[in-house]
Amino acid sequence: MSKMNRRTFLKALGATVAAGSTAAASAPLFAKKSPHVAVVGGGVGGATLAKYLKIYAPSIDVTIIEPKTEYQRPYGSSEVITGHETMDDITISYDNLRNTYGVKFIHDTVTEIDFTGHKLHTVGGQTVSYDRVVVAPGISFDYSQIEGLDNEADARAKGIIHGWDAGEDLLTLKAQLEAIPKNGTAIIVPPPNPYRCPPGPYERAGLLAQWLEERGDDAAKVIILDSKNGFTTDFTMLQAWNRLYKFNLPEEAHGLYTEEQIATFERHEGEPKVDWIMGAMGGKVTRIDAENMIVETEGAGTFKADMINFIPPLKAGRVALENDLADESGWCPVDPITFESTRHADAHVIGDACIAGAMPKSGYAANSQAKVLAVQLKALLLGGDVQTPVFQNTCYALAGNTDYGMFVADVFRIVDGEIIRVDEQRYLPFDAEPYMYSMSATYQQAWMKAFTKDVFG
Amino acid sequence: MRSTRIFPLALLAALGAGSTFTAGASEPSAGVTGQMAAQTCAGCHGTQGYIENSAYVPLAGMDKERFITTMEMFADGSRPSTLMGPLARAFSDEEIEAMADYFAALPKERPAKGFVSEE
Repeated sequence: MSKMNRRTFLKALGATVAAGSTAAASAPLFAKKSPHVAVVGGGVGGATLAKYLKIYAPSIDVTIIEPKTEYQRPYGSSEVITGHETMDDITISYDNLRNTYGVKFIHDTVTEIDFTGHKLHTVGGQTVSYDRVVVAPGISFDYSQIEGLDNEADARAKGIIHGWDAGEDLLTLKAQLEAIPKNGTAIIVPPPNPYRCPPGPYERAGLLAQWLEERGDDAAKVIILDSKNGFTTDFTMLQAWNRLYKFNLPEEAHGLYTEEQIATFERHEGEPKVDWIMGAMGGKVTRIDAENMIVETEGAGTFKADMINFIPPLKAGRVALENDLADESGWCPVDPITFESTRHADAHVIGDACIAGAMPKSGYAANSQAKVLAVQLKALLLGGDVQTPVFQNTCYALAGNTDYGMFVADVFRIVDGEIIRVDEQRYLPFDAEPYMYSMSATYQQAWMKAFTKDVFG
Repeated sequence: MRSTRIFPLALLAALGAGSTFTAGASEPSAGVTGQMAAQTCAGCHGTQGYIENSAYVPLAGMDKERFITTMEMFADGSRPSTLMGPLARAFSDEEIEAMADYFAALPKERPAKGFVSEE
């Protein structure tokens, strides 16, 4: 159905059904000379969409509505906690989007999206009209399932910081790490699936362990208390911890791997520097007593810590939740080809907030979805057919030691209306040559710059 | 293709269901374009394959045969790689050729304005 037919139809709908509502009727019968795309959120998804739309269809006006005047990248930001990166390193200007690509910015917070009226409202009292709105709101945090912490503000007041969305929280976590007494214990609680940056909590564990080791702590420990029995990067990360931090593969994990793979693990005596209490071991955290720094688990007992990094379950970002774009799962269902919301017309959701089949919630995935959407929006707004998508994701991670890297790399296609993963091998093989890990670390560092430039540069 | 959308909309309108609707699945044109496939490279190799001072190889302006041969060597393992082998194997010969055409058509040097418009 062409855009014009659709608009005509909507207009008819507005006229015949929504009598008294001017919303649908106000949709233009004919497209303006320059269609306008409003982008809610200036993170990886929103920024990539805006930039690529201006490359693919410069005649389309693109406005990003984003409260922050500069971006702090969450990807790679655990390295701020260990001092390998600074806040300056992860802070990115919007100047290139503005000056090189002609993206417009409104630094304000979106409140209500009027889907039928094709306009949105901001805290600052502005009203922005659009032909299509792209909602890329990232994530919000759900404290309802944990005893001892009421909400994000309560957790922060008690010194329990997630540090999962960049910001000054990273410096608080850095101070907490530095305050761990010699040979103390840090606890990391990864969220349940699905969540942003699947290898991230595990990379962070290794980074903390490495930092403590380099400080001279022989017996400091980072304990991961997990509700899950596996995570992205999988045996490449577990193998690295085995090689670097005296980690022993739990018996409960043996069923996940072949004997040949398990044979690559050395058996260490004594306490590991990184330990993973997986879901099958009862590692799910039920209660956090911040005052006494105690973490209770479902079946693995109670742990005393000097630092607790609790990353709560995640949901779609606030704007999506408040505007009925999310379903009961807390995430936003979309058409896998156009990322148009299945709940509201002419609104597209990309990045962490959307439900994108087998694609993870990662920066690269958001970037890949945004580019596909840029192609589709060009067709939807200027004419032509939507295109057959292909998506990619690459997540690099460090084992902890910054010379030891790893990754997951996937290609995704649409099969029977679902986004599915089509590659076979996604990690380094379990018997990879040692130089592959150092090369991966080199690529990990290069990726931070290259990817940032693809999104914002 | 998008005409499938009429029915849910019309149905909901008839039911007085207001602004919510269930989108019918979009049906795209067949075949992945060079642009569509090539943009997946850019997250590492730079927008339109333009990248300077990086561990990643620039792809803009790369000779078509060189691109295809390199991807074939990644795919069959004759050129060792970390992740390019599995990625190369996930694209068809036609897609690799389309990507090669896309990058070969771009000037090797990044234009002064920073990018090439693909209108």
